[in-house]
Amino acid sequence: MIAIVASIWVLIPFFWAIINSFKTFEATFSAAAIIPFLNFQPTLDSWKEVLGDPQSLNSLLSSAIVAVGTTLLVLLLGTPAAYSLARYEFPWQSKDIALWFLSQRVMPPVVVLVPFYIIMVQLRLIDTWSGLILLYSTFNLAFCVVIMRDIFRDVSKDVEEAARIEGANLWQIFWMIALPLSLDGLIVTAIIVFAFSWNEALFASALTSQHASTLPAFILASRSTRGVNFNTAAVNTIIAIAPPVIMSFFVQRYLARGLSFGAVKG
Amino acid sequence: MEPTNKAQVKGERAFKYAMLGPAVLWVIAFTFFPIFSAIRYSFANYVLGRGVTGYVGFKNYLMVLTDGGFWHSFFITLVYVGISVPIEVCVGFLLAWIITVGLPGKGIFRSIFTAPLFTMEVAIGYLGVTLFTSEGGLVSALLGTIGIHIPWLATAEGGLAAAILLDVWQWTPFVFLMALAALGSIPDEIYDAAMLEVSNHWQALWHVGLPLAWPVLTVAILLRLIEGLKSFGLPFALTSGGPGTSTQLFSIMNYLTTIQFFDFGRGSAMGILYLIMVSVVITVFFQQMRRRIE
Repeated sequence: MIAIVASIWVLIPFFWAIINSFKTFEATFSAAAIIPFLNFQPTLDSWKEVLGDPQSLNSLLSSAIVAVGTTLLVLLLGTPAAYSLARYEFPWQSKDIALWFLSQRVMPPVVVLVPFYIIMVQLRLIDTWSGLILLYSTFNLAFCVVIMRDIFRDVSKDVEEAARIEGANLWQIFWMIALPLSLDGLIVTAIIVFAFSWNEALFASALTSQHASTLPAFILASRSTRGVNFNTAAVNTIIAIAPPVIMSFFVQRYLARGLSFGAVKG
Repeated sequence: MEPTNKAQVKGERAFKYAMLGPAVLWVIAFTFFPIFSAIRYSFANYVLGRGVTGYVGFKNYLMVLTDGGFWHSFFITLVYVGISVPIEVCVGFLLAWIITVGLPGKGIFRSIFTAPLFTMEVAIGYLGVTLFTSEGGLVSALLGTIGIHIPWLATAEGGLAAAILLDVWQWTPFVFLMALAALGSIPDEIYDAAMLEVSNHWQALWHVGLPLAWPVLTVAILLRLIEGLKSFGLPFALTSGGPGTSTQLFSIMNYLTTIQFFDFGRGSAMGILYLIMVSVVITVFFQQMRRRIE
């Protein structure tokens, strides 16, 4: 019973967005019109309007490029570091280094807004994809290192030892043994990083204006300049939330572990 | 892996530092450097276009500390987190417990409850406007049919309440997933044994479920607290900080000070002060929880 009520509560905003996206502008004023064809005539107008708007298409493209770029860069930097921390002894406890990476997350991003703004101006990276990718990689690197370290620790050392006896060098062991064995974890990490970057709003609106404006920045900007039209707002919402939500369905079972930085072994 | 000779030890050394190095350097370059710059700017008089024109000591800090807006936004951020996080923890845990102790269709419910987790905060805030506005908003319309009229977005309390509701909508799944994983990792025999000692469902929840999930719940609370204190996108898209400045959570206020007014000195001082306050809140909280566990 409680579960059903909770399900309805969870699903209502999604339904509301879907229904509104098929309404005409006039029909959105009556909240009671909920059933298509019976209460209102469904139309694809607002979908056409949003998808025909070069600005919103551009922000969709920016979002995709920035999120994918960030994910690749984070994995490229973070995975080797995580592997190194999981396998080797350091003068400091490897747990401490992991904790140090983690402590980066406590800092509210807005604290470094000014320095980053100035750095971006100096590097001429304002309103560019590279600027955002650089920034988001910084914020997500810690996450990747901590969680991938945890995942690599579960990879059996025996397999790696066997490969070494076969003559594989350290890099080959990492690349051809450890990485493929951790593929599940790698995919979850990638999806979470993708979602974080896809959804980030603060720096996206501060550091972009047009060219590299991602979806959150575009939505915030159009909210303040054009106000809220229910139907186009609904279409924008659906486009904005669909990719990470759909991806997350595929890795549900592993999400708890990833999001808890390895505190939960799901 | 036991290294067998000197060359191997050396190779391993080179390898482990080569693997770790880039990430560490990256974090130092792009986190430490900006934090130090932020501290520097917080003591500076920054003029747009001309850069730092001189240092003014603690003037920026004094301005911030005597600014009612700063304290207001700090206070409502605490209210926001203080209300939303406990609800998320209770409901998330409750749902996880219900699903664990026996509900058909576990997979379906898990999928449904997880759905809001990765939704874009800005988009949810934006959608929230169409839910809560008094002109055709769904929530307002539904409440209207039973005679309740709440001016959600026209008042400070209403706006904050709406933002909290959406925050709960989005983040309860986070606690839920973690609690579900924690409860699911416990063998059935332990449940069966524990269940024999309690007489009803609520007792089972309290005496069996909660102790089992508590270690994980503390981590969930901590992470929610950290993220909640950074809240920006959802409340900003929902209320734009208004009416007036009444729903400007800290990040929103700091963002507006920095980006709209280009007051970089004051913006930095605010950020640094907030970082200190957040660290204190989180440390105190974490120690309290630790004490409670021990």
